[in-house]
Amino acid sequence: MAKTYKEINDKIKNGNAVVITAEEMVKYVEENGPKVAAKEIDVVTTGTFGPMCSSGAFLNFGHSDPPIKFEHLWLNDVHAYHGNAAVDCYIGVTRMVDIRPFEYGGGHVIEDLVARKKIRLKGNSYTTDCYPLAEIDTEFTIDDLNQAILCNPRNAYQRYVCAVNSSDRTLYTYMGKLLPNFGNAHFAGAGALSPLSNDPNYETIGIGTRIFLGGGIGYVLGEGTQHNPKGRFGTLFLKGDLKQMTSEYLRGATYPEYGTSMFVGVGVPIPILNEDLALKTAVSNSEILTDIIDYGIPRRNRPNIRQISYEELFSGEIDINGKKVKCSSLSSQYHARKIANELKEWIEKGDFLLNPPAETLPTDSIYKPMRQSLELKFVKDLKRKAVTCYEDCEIKIVAERIINKNTNHIIITTHENKLRGIVTSFDITKAVAQDKHEIKEIITKKVITTTDNEPIDVAARKMKQHEISALPVIDEQNHVVGIITSEELM
Amino acid sequence: MTIINATVPLGLIKNIDDYSRIINEILKHNVSFNILKFSTTPEGINLLLDVPEEKIKTITESLTKNNILVNKKGRVVIDEDICIDCGACISLCPTDALNFKDDLSVNFSEEKCIGCLLCIDSCPRFAIQESR
Repeated sequence: MAKTYKEINDKIKNGNAVVITAEEMVKYVEENGPKVAAKEIDVVTTGTFGPMCSSGAFLNFGHSDPPIKFEHLWLNDVHAYHGNAAVDCYIGVTRMVDIRPFEYGGGHVIEDLVARKKIRLKGNSYTTDCYPLAEIDTEFTIDDLNQAILCNPRNAYQRYVCAVNSSDRTLYTYMGKLLPNFGNAHFAGAGALSPLSNDPNYETIGIGTRIFLGGGIGYVLGEGTQHNPKGRFGTLFLKGDLKQMTSEYLRGATYPEYGTSMFVGVGVPIPILNEDLALKTAVSNSEILTDIIDYGIPRRNRPNIRQISYEELFSGEIDINGKKVKCSSLSSQYHARKIANELKEWIEKGDFLLNPPAETLPTDSIYKPMRQSLELKFVKDLKRKAVTCYEDCEIKIVAERIINKNTNHIIITTHENKLRGIVTSFDITKAVAQDKHEIKEIITKKVITTTDNEPIDVAARKMKQHEISALPVIDEQNHVVGIITSEELM
Repeated sequence: MTIINATVPLGLIKNIDDYSRIINEILKHNVSFNILKFSTTPEGINLLLDVPEEKIKTITESLTKNNILVNKKGRVVIDEDICIDCGACISLCPTDALNFKDDLSVNFSEEKCIGCLLCIDSCPRFAIQESR
């Protein structure tokens, strides 16, 4: 038995619509079956509350006297984007303050705005005949603005991956702090509460769908950027009136050594128009699968370790190659649930009606990687022959090599050409000064290395991070196959 | 394995003999363990050790005997007004001192905290601070 949007809305207006959350729907359908659910349940509410970097807000300040046309402007010292008309701007959540980055950013500005705190606006202009003011430094609150429109090009990922780290150092990523040697795991997404996972073919979600956004009412503008329906990584482009929103559901965030972002609360109502939608909204955490991805490999195609269900992810511990690894979410399931319940209350009270989308989201668009016109360079393209010495040779030999081969780095190997360490010209100077005679007294054994197939930029970042100027290139058996130094990178 | 947090206070080790005395004291219990974290702090050297369950007591005793502080309790405080219950800290906590309540909000069980401080720079809200 099919229902229409009008029938559902009439029930909402009369205050007798039956609304339950997507989590409750799992149990309901399990107990009563989809047929009864389709008849009895009118709306299923979803919710998610996670860090969503592709978020920001358009603000309009009104005109100053004399008028100004911004060239650059800052909100609480966070650079806002200006490339529109005189006093419009876009503040993006990942933009950090100029002076103390990694503490405060665009997401925090938006949180402070909706909390109705005072925001400092500084701006400058090259001045024109119609906009003569050169500089402005003023304070405002959200109520002083004409419009404050949250406008997020990519929110509410259908599902997301689970991140782990196989490398030997702690990584600070947009997936949080990842301990070395698979020390922990992080995932994101609300599983069975996730909006797009409850309508995976986008039958009810599309342009104009009215939603819960940041504690206020928002709308779906269409597919989000990087929308990837075939890969089940659909996304939403959202907007809403920031003035209605609350800082409980828009929270600035900082991931150390990564940057700033913002937690966004999104809740989408799914009308139960038919039995098929009843079944789809009953999707459980065990049925939503994602992949465990190794962020220890800094490439676009990071290794996929295995498939995993949200049920396993929520259990708090996952199995990686036989090792038990602690696992937790980056998005808040507590708040996701709260959002689904809040939206449910709005609908039950008759304050929130559902509408059919003007157009549903595309189901066949393709998600492409970046076209890079310059060929990616690898270590093997730029490496040179390493100057080596055996571990048992005399320091004098090493010193001679440095002079004869005109190099600063001597790689120390076993007789089988396996890497043992590195000695620099400075180490030799030190040996002379301190009257040391054997390599083992001056060798650096813990050497940061690279491999033939590592992109040059990854090798360069290693040197920068460890403040070193050369990396031995090794193969899988730890044989020395070359060296790359900062000179090759210049 | 169980994780213990040992702090070697500043000034405890003055020369190499102090080191060997402490290390021999531990070695005589015939136990192997992993050092998960080694860091220097204004208070001294901080070690996070992964020790077999049955050896915890002996190791703790020999460390304490040498004036090494073991499992300083509750070294972090969580500001609940700033915390948004995301859970980014939970996977980092080796003792489950940070955990989810039944309603999936974040909970801190101070009595389980061994002060390893691994969680501090995992919080996207700076809600976790070291207590002084």
